[in-house]
Amino acid sequence: MTDDHTNDQPNDAIQDERIRSLAAGHYNAPDGSVPREAMWAQVAAARRAARSGVAPIESVAPAVTQAEVSPDVVPLDSRRRTRTIVAWRWSAAVAAGLLLAFALGRKVGDGSSTTSPRPQQVAQGSTSPSTQNPSTPARIDPPAGSPEGSTGSPAPNGTPASKGPRQQVAVARPSSESSTPDASTEVASLDTAASALYRAAAVQTLVQAEAVLTAYRGAASTTRDPEAMQQAARWARDVLSSTRLLIDSPAGRDPQMRALFTDLELVLAQIVQLSGTPLQASERELIDRAMRDRDLLPRLRSAVPAGSATS
Amino acid sequence: MNERELTARVKAGDEAAERALYDAHVDRVYWVAYRMSGRHDLAQDFTQDVFIRAFERIDDFRGDAPFGAWLHAITMSVVLNGLRKVKRFDQREAVLEEAAMVTSRTRESEPDLKERLAQAIDALPEGCRVTFLMHDVEGFTHEEIGAALGTTAGTSKAQLSRARAKLRIALADFAGDWIQ
Repeated sequence: MTDDHTNDQPNDAIQDERIRSLAAGHYNAPDGSVPREAMWAQVAAARRAARSGVAPIESVAPAVTQAEVSPDVVPLDSRRRTRTIVAWRWSAAVAAGLLLAFALGRKVGDGSSTTSPRPQQVAQGSTSPSTQNPSTPARIDPPAGSPEGSTGSPAPNGTPASKGPRQQVAVARPSSESSTPDASTEVASLDTAASALYRAAAVQTLVQAEAVLTAYRGAASTTRDPEAMQQAARWARDVLSSTRLLIDSPAGRDPQMRALFTDLELVLAQIVQLSGTPLQASERELIDRAMRDRDLLPRLRSAVPAGSATS
Repeated sequence: MNERELTARVKAGDEAAERALYDAHVDRVYWVAYRMSGRHDLAQDFTQDVFIRAFERIDDFRGDAPFGAWLHAITMSVVLNGLRKVKRFDQREAVLEEAAMVTSRTRESEPDLKERLAQAIDALPEGCRVTFLMHDVEGFTHEEIGAALGTTAGTSKAQLSRARAKLRIALADFAGDWIQ
């Protein structure tokens, strides 16, 4: 530290040493304790997000080049691009899963509407007269979609049948179709496959949401970089879309999951709306309070099965 | 377990090893970040970023140099780049704050030496300030500073010389006491 005074006056060296000593002791000198656990929580969350293939939000510090650091360090740009691609693949996979699940759901759900006209067609003559019982025309020509029609006989005391649409599908098929042995089994297996897909989509969305919220908290703690916040908004928007789809899907039928999705939707919407510009303290407090009051991150973590983030 | 073994386990994805390395170096990283930024919130953000980047790039650590040296190179890079971004943001706010302060500014008593020193360091051009803090306070070599700042060791020496000269001038009032 005193090796740079060859051209200085002797008194300068004394002054410099005094200044150096004062600066070391008083200029932004260590005071208080290091918030180890709080920082580790953020680091660990970011590492979990990275392991799950989700790109973390670019932080305050930009990527550095090899020349800026040391020969041991390589630029992050290529890795960041790779992680972004991986994140898009995850998003695409979740979206594809949701679409497939909806398609299956529609197929299963449409069963009630596609099967109910069939008895009408039967009544209108597509079946040979020998198979009809002329004394019971009302049984084979019911109003479309009526519960009575689907069971083939009126409900006792005129009360509608309490069976759900899928149960109706299983029993509404006319005898000619019910001769197919796997009709109800097929519907049941479709239902099971759709539920599994919805569950998988829900888990993936929750994992991404946890990563978004964790990264947002890290980025928003400084609120200094509009680019980082805009990236947070873009990321949150993707997860928000999936969340809204899930709210109206069978995955949202569970009251607990629905409440979680609804709270998540609110917070993500706030991040999307407010993150376009540098956050004011009041705006950040609004989002933080929404997350805190709803225990959002702990609930997200408890809703995600162990190991989902790394699978 | 030594650091070489720890880094090997981190490369294998061992979170416990990550925590052990974190515990071993977090204080030093945090206080360097605080020294450079003067703000605990920024120091916290920079420290987190340093460890996230270090663990992400652990495969690039060849072990030729101590892990601490490799980590501190990342630290300086993260802190300096982060400070540039913060400074750009602060400059936009400074105009408004300055306008508000003009009306409320009152005659202050003569600040003591520590305050004058802090003001003088803050008033240094950024390159001089960083070089002074890194070299004279944190003990980095000119080669390390040049690598962190993307300049040469010679530039670092020149910046340090300018910084010291400016500080001597700024604190000339106290020089008599020091020399005696």
